[in-house]
This record gives sequence, structure tokens and C-alpha cells, in this order.
Amino acid sequence: MKSSLLEVSGLNVRCGKFKLNNITFSLHKKDYLIIVGPSGAGKTMLLETLAGLRRSDSGQIVLGKEEISTWPPEKRGFGFAYQDSLLYPFLNVRENILFGARAQKKQGQRAIINRLERLVDYMGIGHLLDRHPVSLSGGEKQRVSLARSILINPPVLLLDEPLSALDPQTRDMMRALLYDIHKTEGIGIIHVTHNFDEALQLGNQMIVMDQGRILQQGEPTEVFDKPGTCWVAKFLQIENIISGRMQRKNGAVWFDNREYAWSLGPLTNFSGAANSREVSAILHSWQIELSPPQVCDGKPNSWNAIVEKIIPNSHSIDLTCGGSGRWQISLSRKEWEKHHLEVGAQVTLSVDPEQVHFI
Amino acid sequence: MVRQHSKNMASISRIHNGIINNGILNVFWLIFVLMIVFLLLIIVGLLTYTDTKSMATVLQQPEFHFAVKFTLGTSIIAMLLAAAFALPVAYILSRHKIPGRAFIDTLLDIPIVLPPLVSGIALLIFFGPLFGKQLEQIGISVVFSQLGVIIAQWFIATPFAVRSFIQAFGSIDQRMEKVARTLGFSPTMVFVKVTLPLARDGLLGGVMMAWARALGEFGATAMLAGITRMKTETLSVAVFLNMSIGDMNFAIATSIVMLIIALLVLAGLKILSRREVIA
Repeated sequence: MKSSLLEVSGLNVRCGKFKLNNITFSLHKKDYLIIVGPSGAGKTMLLETLAGLRRSDSGQIVLGKEEISTWPPEKRGFGFAYQDSLLYPFLNVRENILFGARAQKKQGQRAIINRLERLVDYMGIGHLLDRHPVSLSGGEKQRVSLARSILINPPVLLLDEPLSALDPQTRDMMRALLYDIHKTEGIGIIHVTHNFDEALQLGNQMIVMDQGRILQQGEPTEVFDKPGTCWVAKFLQIENIISGRMQRKNGAVWFDNREYAWSLGPLTNFSGAANSREVSAILHSWQIELSPPQVCDGKPNSWNAIVEKIIPNSHSIDLTCGGSGRWQISLSRKEWEKHHLEVGAQVTLSVDPEQVHFI
Repeated sequence: MVRQHSKNMASISRIHNGIINNGILNVFWLIFVLMIVFLLLIIVGLLTYTDTKSMATVLQQPEFHFAVKFTLGTSIIAMLLAAAFALPVAYILSRHKIPGRAFIDTLLDIPIVLPPLVSGIALLIFFGPLFGKQLEQIGISVVFSQLGVIIAQWFIATPFAVRSFIQAFGSIDQRMEKVARTLGFSPTMVFVKVTLPLARDGLLGGVMMAWARALGEFGATAMLAGITRMKTETLSVAVFLNMSIGDMNFAIATSIVMLIIALLVLAGLKILSRREVIA
């Protein structure tokens, strides 16, 4: 059983008209928790409350075995890094990194210097120590900011969109660095992001928030594959959300959408589902298979469509297909090259009903 | 031919694409040059109106020595007091939501917009008929005293420091202070180690502004502290006193010294405020 590092339960925080509502989650040692949500969901407010920068109205925050809800930030000692690195312009890089460690006086001077040397070496910023923040690039600043928050030996590291202001190449490099830091330093990390790739690559836990509430939490792949509500599915940019009903036909359960005359089934996992229950089918663009046009009459889980739009991306091709319904499909480049499709082409789409998630 | 025409068109479109066309720009240049020449001429005029011999005579007079020492002494004390009062006032105004904020803002600006003579009368009433007796009882005499000079200078200078300090605190990204809290600093230490260094340029600018204002103060000083030779005689008072008795050499020499001090303060302001130097 994993030991719990941070337990947050029933946390309520009010700020003007906005309120964080009944926030409950736990962070285990070595967890990398990703928080996603639209702007204004309360993600930063939650991080600031955890750090002690905002007072909670009710609820508990337990670190290890201690209740820390009333502790000031300097006693909690959580590392915090914002989107913009917020380095102190009146200090050089070395002084910036040492700024907190020296204030805390938890570690001896020798231990701090040893740790600093190891950390800057490992983060590739050793050559920057005597420079001033103004002369650093965005990625360098963010690495210094991370080093500053890690040097204080925080039990939990709070990251508020730490990579969003960086260019794609630097972001990839920083992402790898964060992954390494998490593995080697063994710090619990809570990372707020708008980037779903970040969530899937770094996180082992994920929370989806909106309007001050937690809507869903779980492992990132599970949240992406099985969003709990249509709102979460739409927010996670799942491309095909089809509403319909579960219907019993010849003793089996099928999903029917009357508008498109489209059905999926038999759904063996839903054999106990109530008849005529309204549900939505959640289909990721990569779950729909594309093949040359075939006669689909009566063939289950296949249907014909016409290619309406082709959008090439660096690793994949996104297609919009019309006809009966409107479908977003994503093909790998290799797969795409097999088909030689143009706008207006007839295709057959199919899906494995066992893979489809229903809400 | 066609090529020449398209070249002309290109140059015309360049002019029209500019923000300001040449006609108005020429007028702007003319006004710009006139302004600079005028400023240089009035300074050169002041500097060359008197001869070095009579200047040297004035510089050796005890009255002049008194005025310089007294002005520097009082204005530095007034500047320090202004900074000491402006710092908490500006911090609270820049960081807290206060009911009646617009009223407080206006109140703080009153010494800036009020003619110094009127400020002086108000101070005279406050330290005279209103609270003069009570202050006398505890040994504080303000009216027609050297302390009055400091209070008048402080009163006129403080709002300038407050305005500048508010801007300095307001321009700080408060997340910098939040980060410092998470790094282990108490609120007081954050103020000392983060807020003050981040606001440094603006604070120094405000202090210099306050000093410059205190150095040249005349109206309020005259009303509250009076115009007494060798007692409440600042450099401004010295210029006024000697002009009124027709000692032009003394007045001009004193004015030149004031001009030099003003230029030094201005240079100090420019050097200390790095942003202005860069701009």
C-alpha cells in the first residue's frame, strides 16, 4: 500500500464571488499529480492554498501526519514555481537558487553548497551561476526557478503551468527534466497545465477541475479513455461524442442514434443496462478505422462516409468525414499513405464496440 | 519609365504609411529645437549675468554659508521624514483595498496642487491657533522657528514621495513576494529582502524628488517659519531677501548655487533610476 504524503479533504476557499468547493484528493509519495481545467477553474488558487498563500475557510490539509491548514507558507516549505520564472532581478543565478535554502536554515551551509553543485550540474545550469536573470533565455530561467524551489528540499513541489511560456523544443527538454527530477529527487509533484500531452507523459494521477470543483480524478490514461461526463470529454478534446440510447434487440444491448441511423453493438459489457437509457458514446478519433468503400448494409459497426476535410499534422492526418453524421478521424502518416484520399472520396468507417466508452 | 513611376509610387506610399507626414514633422522639429535653445539660453543667461569677482565675494559671506548649510540640513531631514511617512502610506495604498480610496488619494495630492503659500497658511493655522499652545507645553515650537522650515518642506515634499512610492510598489509582481514566502521568508523578511529591493529604483526616485522639492521650497516655509535673516534663511529665502533689498549679486550667486544643486539632484535621479538611464 502506498503511503500518503498529502491528504486534502473537504477544502473550501472563498475569494470574492469565486469559491473552491469541497476539494478532496490525496497525493502519495512519488506521485506526479496533474491538474487540468479551463482558465478560471481555480487551479492556481488551489495551488496557492496548498502552499499556504491563501487561507482556507474550511477543510483539512494533512502533510504526512500533521494538519497544516493553518500553517504559514514558510512553515509548510512547499516548492512553488509559476509559469514565468519570477527570478529576482537584483540577484545573480547562484544567489537566486540559494535564496530560499539560506533563509530556511534547515540545512548547513556545506550541505547547501553540495546540493547546489549537484543540482545545477544535473539541470545543466552550472555555467549560468554568475549571470543575471535578465541575460537568460526562457528555458534557462525556468530551470533556475525549478532549482530554486527544489533546493529547499520541499516535501511537495507545486508547479503552475511551468512550461507554457516556453518554445516547443525547450518545452520537450524541460518535460524530460521534470520527469527525471521527479524520479531522482522523489518529491511529490502537483503540476497545473493546459497541455494534455504533458498530462499523459508526466502524470500518474490527474484531476479535472472546473468552476472550483473537482469533476474527475484518476490515472491520466483512464481519465482520457473514460471521461466521467460529456463536459469532461469535450474539455479533453475527445473528438466524437454521439448521443443516443441503449436499446435491447434480440436479447442483446445496442447503442442507437436515430438521427444518423447509426448503431453499435452488441454491447456485451452492458448486458444489464436499462432499456432506452439515454447515453453518449465517446469515440476518440484514433478509435475509428478507415477502409476503402464497402457495402455496409446491415453490417454492424460499419458505415459509409465522405471525406470533407483533410488536415495534415506533423505526426498524423486529421480527417473530417460527413455523410451520415460528422466524424473526426486521425490516421498515422503511414496509414494515410496507404489510402491516397482526396476531399470527396467515399470511405467506410468502422469501430470496435467493445472499445467505445459510454457516459 | 514604368519602373521610375513605380519607384515614385513606392516612396510616396512609404511617406503616407508613416505615422506622421513630413509637413507636421518639420513643425515638431522646429518647436523641439526652439524649446532646447530657450532652456539653454536661460541657464547661460543666469550663469553669465554676474562676474566671477562679485560671485567669489558672495560665496565668502557668512550669510551665504549659513543659507547653504541650513538648506542642506533642513532639506535632508525633511527628505528622510518624507520617506519615513511615504513608505507605509504608499505600501498600504498600493496593496490594500481601502474604503474611500478616491477621497484619500485626493487628500494626499492636495499639497501638490495647492499653491505653497496656501499650504503655508494652513500649516500656520494648525501649528498656531489650533495646536500651538499644546505643542508649546511639551516644548515644541513650530511657528517662525527652524523646525517650522523642516515641517513646511516635509509637508510639500511628502506627496511627491508617496506618488512615486505607490508606483514603485504597484509595479512589483506580487507573485515574486509569494514565491519568497514559499521559500521560507516571513512577511517582514519578504518586505525587506524582496519588496524593497524590487522597488528600489522607484523608491530612490521618490526620495530624490522629495529632496529636490524640499530644497527649493519657499512659499510654505515663508508662511510657517517666516523670513528671518540667518535664522530661517534657506537658499530660496536668501534669494528673496536679497532681491528685495536690491543686492542682485547675492541673489544671482545664490540662484546659481541652487541651479548647480538642482542639476546634481537631477543627475543623481537619472543615475539611480536605471530605467530612465536605459530609456
